[in-house]
Amino acid sequence: MNTHPYLRAYLAGIFLPTLVLPIILTVFIVARIVIQVPTPIEQVMIFPMAIVPSLFGLWNMLYLESHTRMHHPIGLHGAVLPLLMAPIGALLATHLNVLQFGSSGLVWFQVCSVPYALVLPGLLFAMAAYYLVWKYIVGNLNQVLGVA
Amino acid sequence: MNVHDEDNPEMERMKKLLRQSVPPLGAGDEPERDLWPAMLHRLDRKPAATPWFDWALLAGLVGAVVVFPSAIPVLLYYL
Repeated sequence: MNTHPYLRAYLAGIFLPTLVLPIILTVFIVARIVIQVPTPIEQVMIFPMAIVPSLFGLWNMLYLESHTRMHHPIGLHGAVLPLLMAPIGALLATHLNVLQFGSSGLVWFQVCSVPYALVLPGLLFAMAAYYLVWKYIVGNLNQVLGVA
Repeated sequence: MNVHDEDNPEMERMKKLLRQSVPPLGAGDEPERDLWPAMLHRLDRKPAATPWFDWALLAGLVGAVVVFPSAIPVLLYYL
């Protein structure tokens, strides 16, 4: 199957975020409407809905393009993605008033405070999570779709 | 194809073009050995076991989520 490999790579990449998105939406809606958390859900959902799936798809296309030359493992490729996503997400969240830079730490969604000391461990956490996700989920999807 | 077609120069030209574009199948195109046993062996092969490092990483991630549950919305934001 050699037709449209980049399209298949994109579809394999967006699979997981698209699958998880309704769950995230449910959690945020429950938090906003049922628990009455004062979170601006419309602004919060822009990044997970509009940007994360596309980034996953494009990142998998980049993997397909670069794998033939670099032969790097897909887990490592996915682990680098948070380094790109973290600043983009934070920038967008700041502009949409979802994230504030407080005196002692970051305040997410106007309720969730994260001390500055935990930002770097949080980034490492995200890289580890993305390593596993890309190695076991996106990698398997790539095999199923005959991408890599 | 009837007898008249063979006399047709257009038909002869078409035949020639077809022969040029479709290479003949020869004995050299056959594989040197039977590939089916290797295919069966590959289908029966068990998937590679998950390395201990990945299990440890997963345990660490679950532990971190348990210790810092307030980070879950931030994680969901980035998924």
